[in-house]
Amino acid sequence: MNNNIIILPIIIPMITAVLLIFFNKQEKVQKYLSAVSSVINIGISVFLVHYVHTNGIISLEVGDWKAPFGIVLVADMYAILLVLTANIIVFACLLFSYKIVDYNRSKFFYYSGVMFLLTGVSGAFLTGDLFNLFVFYEVMLMSSYFLIVHGNSKPQLRETIKYILVNVISSALFVISVAFLYAVTGTLNMADLSLRVAELGSSGIIAAISIMYLIVFGLKGAIFPLFFWMPGSYQAPPAAVTALFGALLTKVGVYSITRVFTLIFLQDIAFTHTFIAWLAVLTIIFGVIGAISFSDIKQIVIYNILTGVGVILFGVSTMTESGLEGSVYYMIHDMIIKGLLFLLVGIVFSITGTTNLDKFSGLIKKYPTLGWMFFIAALALAGIPPLSGFIGKLKIVQGGFEQGEFVLAFAVLLSSLLVLYSVMKIFINGFWGEEKIPQVLETSQVKSLYVPAAFLLALSLFYGLGTEFISSYIKQAEQVLLSPDLYIEAVLKE
Amino acid sequence: MTFLHWAILFPFLFAFMVPFLYKTFRKIHTGWFVLPLPICLFIFFLQFLPGVKYKEGIVQTVKWIPSLGIDFAVYVDGLSLLFALLITGIGSLVVLYSIYYLSKEKEQLNAFYVYLLMFMGAMLGVVLTDNTIVLYTFWEITSFSSFLLIGYWHYRERSRYGALKSMLITVFGGLSMLGGFILLYIMTGTFSIRETIAQSSSIADNGLFIPALILLLLGAFTKSAQFPFYIWLPDAMEAPTPVSAYLHSATMVKAGIYLVARFTPVFAGSAEWFWIVSLFGIFTLFWGSFHAVKQTDLKAMLAFSTVSQLGMIMSLLGVGSAALLFDHFEFYSVAILAAIFHLINHATFKGSLFMVAGIVDHETGTRDIRKLGGLMSLMPITFTIGLIGAFSMAGLPPFNGFLSKEMFFTGMIRVLNMDVFQTETWGFLLPVLAWIGSIFTFIYSMIFVFKTFAGKLQLENLPKKPHEAPIGMLIPPIVLASLVVIFGFFPNLLAYSLIEPAMKSVMPSLLKDGEHFHIHISHWHGFTAEFWMTVGVVILGIFLYLTASKWKRVYDLQPKRMTLNQLYDHSLKTAGKTSNRLTSFYMTGFIRDYLVYIFAFMIMAVGATMIIKQSISFAADDAAPVGIYELILSIVMIAGSITAVLARSRLTAIIALSSVGYSLALFFVLFRAPDLALTQLVIETVSTALFLLAFYFLPELQKKDKTRRFRLVNFIISAGVGGIVTLLAISASSERTGKTIAEYFLETSYSLGGGYNVVNVILVDFRGFDTLFEITVLAIAALAVYSMIRLRTGGKDVEENGFKNE
Amino acid sequence: MEIVTSIVAGILFMTATYLMLSKSLLRIIIGTGLLSHGAHLLILTMGGLKRGTVPLLDEHAASYVDPLPQALILTAIVISFGVTAFFLVLAYRSYQELGTDDMDQLRGNDQK
Repeated sequence: MNNNIIILPIIIPMITAVLLIFFNKQEKVQKYLSAVSSVINIGISVFLVHYVHTNGIISLEVGDWKAPFGIVLVADMYAILLVLTANIIVFACLLFSYKIVDYNRSKFFYYSGVMFLLTGVSGAFLTGDLFNLFVFYEVMLMSSYFLIVHGNSKPQLRETIKYILVNVISSALFVISVAFLYAVTGTLNMADLSLRVAELGSSGIIAAISIMYLIVFGLKGAIFPLFFWMPGSYQAPPAAVTALFGALLTKVGVYSITRVFTLIFLQDIAFTHTFIAWLAVLTIIFGVIGAISFSDIKQIVIYNILTGVGVILFGVSTMTESGLEGSVYYMIHDMIIKGLLFLLVGIVFSITGTTNLDKFSGLIKKYPTLGWMFFIAALALAGIPPLSGFIGKLKIVQGGFEQGEFVLAFAVLLSSLLVLYSVMKIFINGFWGEEKIPQVLETSQVKSLYVPAAFLLALSLFYGLGTEFISSYIKQAEQVLLSPDLYIEAVLKE
Repeated sequence: MTFLHWAILFPFLFAFMVPFLYKTFRKIHTGWFVLPLPICLFIFFLQFLPGVKYKEGIVQTVKWIPSLGIDFAVYVDGLSLLFALLITGIGSLVVLYSIYYLSKEKEQLNAFYVYLLMFMGAMLGVVLTDNTIVLYTFWEITSFSSFLLIGYWHYRERSRYGALKSMLITVFGGLSMLGGFILLYIMTGTFSIRETIAQSSSIADNGLFIPALILLLLGAFTKSAQFPFYIWLPDAMEAPTPVSAYLHSATMVKAGIYLVARFTPVFAGSAEWFWIVSLFGIFTLFWGSFHAVKQTDLKAMLAFSTVSQLGMIMSLLGVGSAALLFDHFEFYSVAILAAIFHLINHATFKGSLFMVAGIVDHETGTRDIRKLGGLMSLMPITFTIGLIGAFSMAGLPPFNGFLSKEMFFTGMIRVLNMDVFQTETWGFLLPVLAWIGSIFTFIYSMIFVFKTFAGKLQLENLPKKPHEAPIGMLIPPIVLASLVVIFGFFPNLLAYSLIEPAMKSVMPSLLKDGEHFHIHISHWHGFTAEFWMTVGVVILGIFLYLTASKWKRVYDLQPKRMTLNQLYDHSLKTAGKTSNRLTSFYMTGFIRDYLVYIFAFMIMAVGATMIIKQSISFAADDAAPVGIYELILSIVMIAGSITAVLARSRLTAIIALSSVGYSLALFFVLFRAPDLALTQLVIETVSTALFLLAFYFLPELQKKDKTRRFRLVNFIISAGVGGIVTLLAISASSERTGKTIAEYFLETSYSLGGGYNVVNVILVDFRGFDTLFEITVLAIAALAVYSMIRLRTGGKDVEENGFKNE
Repeated sequence: MEIVTSIVAGILFMTATYLMLSKSLLRIIIGTGLLSHGAHLLILTMGGLKRGTVPLLDEHAASYVDPLPQALILTAIVISFGVTAFFLVLAYRSYQELGTDDMDQLRGNDQK
């Protein structure tokens, strides 16, 4: 089924970004234009979700060149749900940025950077071509280099160097892996790859290439043992940027792993997916250990990104209905909640001027709303019902048990306790206790920062309490992951 | 949504209104607004009393997430009704009590009642729902409302500590319980408790049965503070006394008991269940009462007492579960009867005692029994209530505690008659520990009432001048104490209305439709073994009480460093420190270390895969012939790259890099890729210029102090990476497929694309989408470079960075 | 020939990695340059070398070399050029602000 609308979530941010370049000196235009564009994008994404819900997977052959020869954009429920979530997060971060980002930064194309990032992310979700995925990754990466360093403070410069280096390596590995796969299969289209790899049967070289892809996407998705660049790189930029990264960037890596290992590399599940399961649990363990190591609230949330990635990948590795369904639920929840938590961290920073827990306490007296928002967000992060993280975790653990991976699944379940502990520490030490605030900055402005955070929180609450409304969508997403034929049919049988 | 559902949700909804009521009506204590709710709910639940006597139970369902089998199903039977009445009844009394206990000027009342109402609703949800996932949801909500209530005076460090401890332990149990529920789901295919019970016989042999059992019990034991998980309960006493009376004696801690009772039909009959529940319960009884004696804080004493009494009920449920195995079950089901009866009795006397402790604290300013004494004359009513409560707790006639204690002994003694599960060998432990535990129970009960009210009045040690409590604070404990007396004299009031239906819920398979358990509770059964046990308890108890100072030293036998509390504290601290050390160890901040980890992983993972999966292949037949020019160029490239590594000056390094780039361009020419060659030449030239420009500003290449090990590791890693890449490349080439999509491009480049240069047509037409975004990348790079150079924030940006600015 | 170029590419990767593991930022950037070259050479190899003639249809030849990898390499070259340019300016600005190009001293660990 052909539908030109699919390209809009990619093109609109890009055009917006370009337009914003020309109006870089008019701050008001920057804000209005980006906000309007974001809202339009959300609307289109919602429409697309609904459309795919009623009509099944839709695809667009760009330039009208038939798949698998031309590039295809594929909107299956999984991808389009993620696009929708990404747009919502960007909107919230934009609202946050309007209050926090000063004129100086906005003059230097900050908002264009955000829009370009969204372009790359949406493209990565929607593309059905492996090399096109690489190109969108580069768009996304380039924007991220830009945003991390934007402001040129010392920590930013330093961390950007390390970040770029790791990503240059991962890009090089990506490109040669595409080449390897092309040599063995002769195609770049993902659906076609699925067919051709299936034809090859159990092939040694394919197994090796699949591990290469795991490493490439794992570097982006921050799985164990490839995550080391993340804590530093995400700590350096301002909170709004970290929110974007934590909610979007790592998720693209996780998405790619999921897509590639449910569509293409299915020949050796006992080997590849068990490997992924172990890496996932190790990621959770290291994430949890990291989260309880430090007193810096930003670092605590950053290490929790690792845990989230591990949980999602564990669900994917089970290759069962429950596990895959759970990982879709959890992925969307994780994007929302990480965005929310980083925004809250940003608000705390605005109030106290620091993110070090040892330096402030007793915030709940003057900022009760903030405290309660944080409390609920913490509970949601840990997967406490009836909040947003629970259903996903439940299904993932169920999937693990069904696969007979009792120890690993139980480890996933128990990780919730340590996740809870790591963020409750922030609540108990930062919000409760005697009032001690090192410096108070712009209290009046702080209240307006609550709006984007409250928006995301409301979304998370709805996601948890009203799970029934979205369950049919998630089910549809999971179906494609479990049965690649649906995807291949939609793309190739045109 | 039926009224039952609303009954559970009303407290939550009401909780939203509390802050408004608090702000608008400052003059009136918010508690007065809250009070009607539990009272109405109590009356509402009373209406179900006649129903549960005869019918199976009433079920009503509302869909929550039907696609996942999770429904908000509500089920009223004897057991759930009993608990519901407890929750709402004691809840009303506690709210009334709190109105006088918490001063409306000094306290943040809105927060208090919000948490309390949330708890009430959640607790009702736990006992009334039929769906295990919904049960888990409400279970965790009780954990969190308890957390918030314990940490109510959060500026106190002890409160924060107690709150965290209770949360960690009960959430741990909750997660285990969830694991057990998931296993049950996998075994039965349903989340409904009733349906699980119906399938209980078929799952008994399932391999997952025992793990589910253990996980479920972990949940119950943590919530009900059984050994060794009890350590959170004494610290929970940091909460205001109304909270202690409500949550931590009458309701929340009983949730574990509820869980065990509710799931008895599923697990009863298995030896593991019998022994684990009974042994942990009886040991907790002993341990709790033993430690209660040495406490000096009234509330701590009551906390340990609660731990002990919960152990008692737990052991009774364990012992009673064996009744399933006997035809003559009524002989053994008396244990279940005792458990349920004591559940009610404990709520009455413990609740009253907590309130008494609260009154003493409120009026004198201290809870330390070393400073208290002689309050009998100043607070006569409180004294009477305390006496009734304490004597009931000690198990003395004519109070209700005596009756349930007798039945407790009966239940334990009858274990000796069972000969299942090897009770012949180990069964004696139960009545023995029961007896010893009861002795200590007697002792601390006496300590509680006599050390506080009898003896010398030490006015100088008391912060406040004591007087009798206001009537509002006395009514709730008076009500409870009256119940102690009433249930003591007329126990059979409850027998068929409340207790028997509850027993039916715990052991439904024992009775056929319409049948009932026969219950007759009385004070005197003759000179039975139980009678003599009680006599022994009293005599030994009085003796030990009077000689207390002599033997109290036995408490010092346990070294301070080996207590469970120490274990907990130590674990938390070590966890934090070890994590910190571990994480700081590998997160060095030095990018080279990170790259070493990453590359090493890549080499090992891909290498291992290649070996295991035999990926390496070597088929040279299809390969292109080697030409002399290409060979020379290859050597030049290799030489160039090695020069780049070994170069000492910046210029040499850059030129070496360029030489590689230009050789590559020549390669492109030789390999029939002219467009590529052109592009490469241009880009390489520009890059070299950029390199020269940038390096002009960067320092000279130093001869760094690099250790041999540093260089060796680098070398090994590099060799590994290079090797892997080469092997992959050769293998991939060998496995090359014949049909590629490029054929299509070659065929249609002119006909459909309109160009002879296929590569160009691919770039701008077939894969023009790629090119569009490739250009975008350049654009973003340009923006980035521009802002990097021009944007100056002056370095005083405290706003944006997580780090303290240098 | 594919085997030869695979080995050359492997050596390029090896030297690139060695350089990227060094302490000096300059060496690291030169390493990334070598890395790109190696990657591009590999892509070309994967398309099969010398299978035919240049992919210009007016040659009307019997067989052509695979044009697709060439297009991919072109895209990759441009993108890596953009990244390299950024990286170089970043190195320049970092040296200005931080005063050193030794990655060992740029750990940033004192903040924790």
